[in-house]
Amino acid sequence: MTPPESNPRPRLLIVDDEARILTALQRALRREGYEIQTAETPDEGLSILDQGRMDMILSDNKMPGMSGLQFLAEASTRQPHLVCFLITGWTESVPTEELERCGVRKLLTKPWDNETLRTLLREAMEEKGFIFPPAPSLESKG
Amino acid sequence: MNDSNASVRVVVAQPQIRFGEPDPLDTVKALQRLGGEVDVEQVRTASHCIALASEEDTALVVVDYALGEDVFQVLEKFRNAGPPVVVVHSEHSDRVALEMFRQGAVDCVAAARGDYQDVLPAVALEHINRWRAQKEKGVVEERIRSLERLNDAIVNEIPAALAVLNSQGQIISLNPEFSRVWNADVDVVAGKPISEVLPHDLMGEAGLAELLEKTAKGESLSAKTMRTTDEDGTQHSFDVRARLFAEDGHILLSLSDVSERENLMKRIGELQAYNTNIIQGMNSALVVTDTEGRITSGNRMAEHILGDMASTGRSIWEWFPDLEREQVVVSRTLDEGLSFRGAEVQIQLPDGRHLEIGISCAPLLKDEGISDGVVAIFQDLTEIKALQRQVLQKEKMASIGHLAAGVAHEINNPMGFIHANLFQMDEYLTDIRKLWTKVEELQEGIGTGNMERIDEVSRSLQSMSQELDHEFLLTDFGKALQESLEGSERIRHIVRDLRDFSHQDTGERVPSNINQCLDTTVNLVWSMMKHSVVLRKEYSDLPEVQGYPMQLKQVFMNLLVNAYQAIREKLGDSGDTGEIFLCTSHNGSEVRVTIRDSGVGIPQANLDRIFDPFFTTKEVGEGTGLGLSTTFNIIRRHGGTIKVHSQAGKGTTFEISLPLEDDPKLRDLPTG
Repeated sequence: MTPPESNPRPRLLIVDDEARILTALQRALRREGYEIQTAETPDEGLSILDQGRMDMILSDNKMPGMSGLQFLAEASTRQPHLVCFLITGWTESVPTEELERCGVRKLLTKPWDNETLRTLLREAMEEKGFIFPPAPSLESKG
Repeated sequence: MNDSNASVRVVVAQPQIRFGEPDPLDTVKALQRLGGEVDVEQVRTASHCIALASEEDTALVVVDYALGEDVFQVLEKFRNAGPPVVVVHSEHSDRVALEMFRQGAVDCVAAARGDYQDVLPAVALEHINRWRAQKEKGVVEERIRSLERLNDAIVNEIPAALAVLNSQGQIISLNPEFSRVWNADVDVVAGKPISEVLPHDLMGEAGLAELLEKTAKGESLSAKTMRTTDEDGTQHSFDVRARLFAEDGHILLSLSDVSERENLMKRIGELQAYNTNIIQGMNSALVVTDTEGRITSGNRMAEHILGDMASTGRSIWEWFPDLEREQVVVSRTLDEGLSFRGAEVQIQLPDGRHLEIGISCAPLLKDEGISDGVVAIFQDLTEIKALQRQVLQKEKMASIGHLAAGVAHEINNPMGFIHANLFQMDEYLTDIRKLWTKVEELQEGIGTGNMERIDEVSRSLQSMSQELDHEFLLTDFGKALQESLEGSERIRHIVRDLRDFSHQDTGERVPSNINQCLDTTVNLVWSMMKHSVVLRKEYSDLPEVQGYPMQLKQVFMNLLVNAYQAIREKLGDSGDTGEIFLCTSHNGSEVRVTIRDSGVGIPQANLDRIFDPFFTTKEVGEGTGLGLSTTFNIIRRHGGTIKVHSQAGKGTTFEISLPLEDDPKLRDLPTG
């Protein structure tokens, strides 16, 4: 595993066929310091992966063309180091026994809690050696 | 003899009268004196004479010797058989008479005699009477012979054992049946007492000996059934008769084996009891009517449900006082011989209440397939209908349950970003508060006029504002708010559709817009299928249908969900899409809805069963098997039809026709 560069920003790909979800997720993660790219279909997501290395994917499950699970499995094949999260509003439709095989670190449910989400992603990236600046605390400056 | 006085024919054979010869008419005249009973006919030749004389009723032939050779022909002809022949002649010699007697004439009368006119009739009458007597004797003998033949045939062929006994009960003769049944050779047993041939129990306990004694004494006794048990323990029954012949004191004993008949009667009795048990004990009501619809029999259940209306003699038409005869389903069985099952009809009870029954009718067939009335079996549907309504509602709830998962996804998406946005806006608000605190500090500073303070706070505000990116913050706050509002609007729609769908109809038929029903349903299921299905619509402007819109939506829901599942099953994980084609049209009398999918199709073997309740090819727990059966019932309730065409691997088409005319007969059925 290649160690991260001196002060690199983790690259995050978010895939969801619902644009409002993409916006809301970006909004929640804005201050986390990720380099975020978004895709509205799995196909689009795969072509982004083909253009360069990603560190982490956060994907919806129910999407046109293929399911998020299929997409993540394919993504992991192309970039085996990827950390994958699946996020769905219909957890019952996800075969949990498939999760591990498809390289999913954790299954998240919609609606999600922003703070929990941030923590989960941050922990995953810290495990990969990324260093996050301390959470912005305005009090210290005030 | 009865015909002794019937007229008889006398044939007179004479030559043509020639001038100067004795008047031959004297012969005819003489015979005519015998009166109307004797029919005198004249002929001129032997052949005519023979032809006429050969007829049955010719009693006498009188031949004139003047016929010459023909006389001999006639005599020769009737010498051994046929009517007697008398010869009349005008010769004066006895030689003629002698010759004629030799040739077979029964008499010879000389016309020359003065008393010819008296003698000939007397002679003729004597021979006619003799002929009659002989003929009568022949008839009697023939009758006796024929009676004997008949008697022999009866005695030999009758399936009864016959024995003639003398007054001491000794066997005189037996018929073959007796020999066969009792294994008795007439040559061996002749002269032996009958008690040695017949079984003891028949003679004794059964009372045959007593019967014979009484008969011998002249008592006239009616036939008795007597029983005997053979070595195998099998019981045989005999119809026993004895009759005394007064002339010689002989007794005719007749034994007919009636065991089979008795067994049959017993079996018939058992079968009748069996049938009665079934008919009376069955859980359905049954009535049988004649061709006029009058009840000829009914069971207890029929009376339990309908009271006196199901009694024998009442008319089945009374059950439907508001309907014309031809409107009543039963008339189709009576008039056209049709059988049908499970028709739902309403009966009006005497107290005015309406009772729903399910009725099945079949023609009551006589020989050669002629209808002799109707057999009708029916059930009170009140309870069943209530259950049906429950099932209908359950089925609807099941399809809602099926939807719920898809709908949950559809709600959770907007919920997801609304929730995240709210959380974010909360954070934004915290930031805004912080900035506002700085603004307040600045105001305070301005109030005091402390420029240093003002400067410090102002710089701090600016740096905080930069750090928080306040322009972005305010813009994004607005965006997040707007997006969340949109999201909540989406949820509101979904919930409204869902509520709309789970609604129950009021029970009244209302004008329903089929296109609208179809669209509302599509909206609801669309989220579930949008990734796998391309929807193609071809709607026509439709007149409104009198119906139950909620039920129709349920029909469309069932068919759309099936179509979607068929497509999913065909596509698997391929990522392709299938097509659902929706088409509506009308032809002035009915509205037609076509729902076609490009799914897996239905195997031919299952096509006939898909509308059966509880038929499902899905895994246990995945389908109730009631979807299409419910669909079928709802369409039927609208007086419509549903047809299915399917090709395995190619897809399935459902075609629904709904009549525009509001048929009052269909109104009776309550809704689910």
